[in-house]
Amino acid sequence: MTSLSVDGLTKRYNHGRPALEDATFRYEGAGAIGYLGPNGAGKTTTLKLLTHLLRPTQGRARINEIDVTEDPKHALADVGAVIETPEPYPSQTVREAIEMVAEFRSGDLARAGSEIRDLNEKLELPPLDQRTGRLSKGQRQRVVIAAALIRDPRVIILDEPTNGLDPKERILIRNLLRELKKDHLILMSSHLMQEVTEICDQVIFINQGKILLRDSVEHVATRFQTRSVDAEFATPIVVDRIRALGPVVKDAVVVGERRFRITFDGSNDARAEILKGLVSLGPVLSYSNSSLMLEDAYLSLIAANGGSAGS
Amino acid sequence: MDSATLPSDVTQWFSAFQRQIRFYFRTMRFVGLLGFVTLVSVAAMAVAIVYGSSATSASDYLYGILGNLPTFGIIVGAFIGGDAIAMDSGGTGYFTLVLPVRRLVLLLGRYAAAFLVSFVLLLVFYAFSIFGAAWLFGAGSIPWTDVGVSVGFAALFALATLATAFLFSAFFRSPAVSMVVTILVLFLAFLFIDGLLVLTTVEPWFSLLYAGEIMALVFEGQPHLTSTTLNGPRHLTITTYHPYLWEGVVILLVYLVVSLVLSAVLFQYRELKG
Repeated sequence: MTSLSVDGLTKRYNHGRPALEDATFRYEGAGAIGYLGPNGAGKTTTLKLLTHLLRPTQGRARINEIDVTEDPKHALADVGAVIETPEPYPSQTVREAIEMVAEFRSGDLARAGSEIRDLNEKLELPPLDQRTGRLSKGQRQRVVIAAALIRDPRVIILDEPTNGLDPKERILIRNLLRELKKDHLILMSSHLMQEVTEICDQVIFINQGKILLRDSVEHVATRFQTRSVDAEFATPIVVDRIRALGPVVKDAVVVGERRFRITFDGSNDARAEILKGLVSLGPVLSYSNSSLMLEDAYLSLIAANGGSAGS
Repeated sequence: MDSATLPSDVTQWFSAFQRQIRFYFRTMRFVGLLGFVTLVSVAAMAVAIVYGSSATSASDYLYGILGNLPTFGIIVGAFIGGDAIAMDSGGTGYFTLVLPVRRLVLLLGRYAAAFLVSFVLLLVFYAFSIFGAAWLFGAGSIPWTDVGVSVGFAALFALATLATAFLFSAFFRSPAVSMVVTILVLFLAFLFIDGLLVLTTVEPWFSLLYAGEIMALVFEGQPHLTSTTLNGPRHLTITTYHPYLWEGVVILLVYLVVSLVLSAVLFQYRELKG
């Protein structure tokens, strides 16, 4: 079964503070894991240790039960990775860059052609005979993602995969990852809470080299449940009428023209009750969490850990 | 796809070899150096044919013209191998080094490609030199056995020079800086040191340029040590060493083995901290 695990993984540069300290986690089967933390938290260090770009000071990283440091060739056999900002050799064409990866993963180049065509459709790659040195950042990122996915590796490790992409390209990648997670194991770091919420089932929070929390997105959302919702009406409403809806509403404030922020106890029952009450007051145009659930959790955890989440 | 379907190390070595050959052609490095060697060879041959040569035999002519081969071989080696490992330091490293291929296999594939390209360039130099000797002294005068031995030494010289260039490239993170430093050290530094040592009695046994002289010495043996005193306001004694053939081979072998092993170790343990 596909698996990805780290056990007591530690990386220290030049005897300073560990960039990663005693990280331990294990995932099996299919799904997507979001790896969240501010800049310098240790996210990329972990991903580099998993892909043999760094060597651990202590501990082990294993992919499909094979130790990455001891046998990187076989550990990475079923891994597609995009770490930092990879660049194919500028003199290679898009096709050659992807073919090179295919060739190292499996000698059978005959099948690579149809796979490249398939990836070309999914990722809207630039012209295949264009030199990669002449690609824009977004185009190059799509090419390296295509190269990571060629030969359909079961484990996909991505370091901020939509970094540098325009909104259309981000949606493209997001949809692809949502599709892939059904039968692949994806570990992706990201700064974008929205992205992690939309793609991932599990989440790991890390700060200052230490893992703070590992759980499912659903549990984290419940644990750090948002305690306010935003509602927008089609017609003007007096805010006191919302406050008068009952004990489920702790408070309500005006945040815009016909928009209100309503504070409550955070439970789903109360959320449903409030919506019911709002609809009785007038036509409701929108009703949503006032902030993203993971963002709440992220800020709360980082603040509790004494770190800055400014990034 | 799993580890059972992975290509063997030999298959991956061949892939790395092919890709690197294509890289040398695509970046115009091979074509540029081929133009350079052709130009230099034709010019040397033309001068000898048009203005006459002081050489008294084909061996003498080949000794003279192939005396330039170490310098030329070092330029070729530095340009071809000067960034072979440094090329995987930046973004390209993040693209290549996450692939399921041993770094040693990548290194040896590139090394083989670099050797083939360098050796072809050296052979072009030989071809023009032999053509010049045949033109001046007749085809029957070519000492083919010596030519064969010299070409063998040239292959060893190319292997040693490239291994040294690979070693330099393992220390740098920028391909451009790596290549410039390799050229400066291998070419200018050795030339400078060899030049200075004629004023001392120290044999430059540590110099690639010195060891490379055996490619020409095959054709015309020279005394191991020659001292010449120049008369002038100050008596200056110039000491010239020529390596024994076995000595040159040993020096080249040491360069080859030590540099290649160190390159492999440095590449193996290189981390992309970025």
